[in-house]
Amino acid sequence: MDMKTIQLLANGLLETVYMTLVSTALGYLIGLPVGILLTVTDKEGIRPNAFIYRILDVIINIMRSIPFLILLILLIPFTRFLVGKSYGTTATIVPLVVSAAPYIARMVESSLKEVDAGVIEAARSMGASNLTIVFRVLLVEAKTSLITGATITLGTILGYSAMAGTVAGGGLGDIAIQYGYYRWQTDIMLITVALLVILFQIFQMIGMKIASALDHRK
Amino acid sequence: MSEIEVRHLSKTFTQKDLKVDALSDININIEKGDIYGIIGMSGAGKSTLVRCLNYLERPTDGQVIVRGQEMGALSEKELRQARMKIAMIFQSFNLLQQKNAVENISFPLRIQGTPKKEAKARAKELLRTVGLSDKAKSYPSQLSGGQQQRVAIARALACDPDILLCDEATSALDPQTTDQILDLIKEINESLHLTIVIITHQMSVIQKICNRVAIIENGHLVEEGRVEDIFNHPKSRAARELIFREVHGDPPTLQSPIDEITEGTKIRIVFTANSAFEPVVSNMILKFGQPVNILRANTRNVGGVAKGDMILQLPVDRETRLQMEDYLKERGLEVEEVTT
Repeated sequence: MDMKTIQLLANGLLETVYMTLVSTALGYLIGLPVGILLTVTDKEGIRPNAFIYRILDVIINIMRSIPFLILLILLIPFTRFLVGKSYGTTATIVPLVVSAAPYIARMVESSLKEVDAGVIEAARSMGASNLTIVFRVLLVEAKTSLITGATITLGTILGYSAMAGTVAGGGLGDIAIQYGYYRWQTDIMLITVALLVILFQIFQMIGMKIASALDHRK
Repeated sequence: MSEIEVRHLSKTFTQKDLKVDALSDININIEKGDIYGIIGMSGAGKSTLVRCLNYLERPTDGQVIVRGQEMGALSEKELRQARMKIAMIFQSFNLLQQKNAVENISFPLRIQGTPKKEAKARAKELLRTVGLSDKAKSYPSQLSGGQQQRVAIARALACDPDILLCDEATSALDPQTTDQILDLIKEINESLHLTIVIITHQMSVIQKICNRVAIIENGHLVEEGRVEDIFNHPKSRAARELIFREVHGDPPTLQSPIDEITEGTKIRIVFTANSAFEPVVSNMILKFGQPVNILRANTRNVGGVAKGDMILQLPVDRETRLQMEDYLKERGLEVEEVTT
């Protein structure tokens, strides 16, 4: 393998890591508060509000039901408006975030709902406000589950980022399609697949290590 | 002024179109320093009642007045302020699983804005009070049930409450640990002059530490008064059931064995002030030369004094029976006929 190919793959790897991490981070910026809002406004929540819950619920369901590949194309005008162009790694981050945010919101919701209702009641009996309960009880008690959720999300976004290669999204997926599919260079495709597998394993391992290190329920 | 005054309290839960009256017209007064027991079978409404005391549940009707302050009149913020002085412990302890003992005890102080260092110092002091100084860094999962409840008690005491509500606090513990936790609660009551409300389904808990008791059945207050009075002369069916069940096992067995013996009169005697060392029943049998059948007995030696009760079957002969009853009464026992 020549230097040029190695350079190409290294670049693709970096692009993939960049897209995945930035998209997940931005996804949490939106998904985390929405997930909290879903938990709080649920009818079993600490401040039930059927109206808010219903609206969020419907929006999330709609967004989650659109396949990522179609979302990628649907969002092209929006991406162009936001980033200035619709191809390349930075542009790919837009549909990735749009797709990740509702997914993350659901992940967060399910993590927070695992928190024992008794502990929440105990906090209420101590005079804790709803805000205190969210930040000092729900998020703290659910942290292991939240981190596990983030690890799963990271893996999913990694997969999506590769899919974005079909529309010149950059990263390893792009290389796999351009060289492996259009040019029949199976060896390069296999290497990108191997790199994706390794990347996935690393993300998974680090995530689970952190989660178990922070868990005191053992 | 009572510490806690409950006036005409009712609570109705509405689910879809179904209305369930959890509590109806409850009136109780709890005085400062009381260890007040609220007892009832499961589903009687006692847990709802205790949650109405700190307004975790809002009553549908009626008032709760805590230290002269009507809880229903408070704003959300004032209510949170009030709750800081009404501590609560639970059947399942409800400690933060991801925080260690000291952090758990600091928690109520921290949410009030006490500086971390100060809160930690207070937490350590409280750990000593509950006898767990060596467990400061332990997480709930590393502690036994009894130890977790001790941490929960320390947490409850962190903000110097006036009132401690205990919701089935010993129901998840074995009898020995239950006794230790009850001793601790009693100790706190005496040393800190705390008013304590205990919710339980076990008469033994009431008997051990409460001075007053309210019996709740199907959301109604059926009997209320001093523990001794109610234990010695239960008036309501619910009270009798609770006392008999406690002494003799499950409620269904109450009827059958007693009914099998049809001859003679059955009486229940309650030991109150007798010396535990005086064989009252044996002496009576020797004196009258007549056999007496002990149907059931539950007595304990508490500090040299016999506590508990027995159900005896006395001879058919009316004359002897009355004399025997007098004999027992003379010895300071409470006697009542059992009519089932």
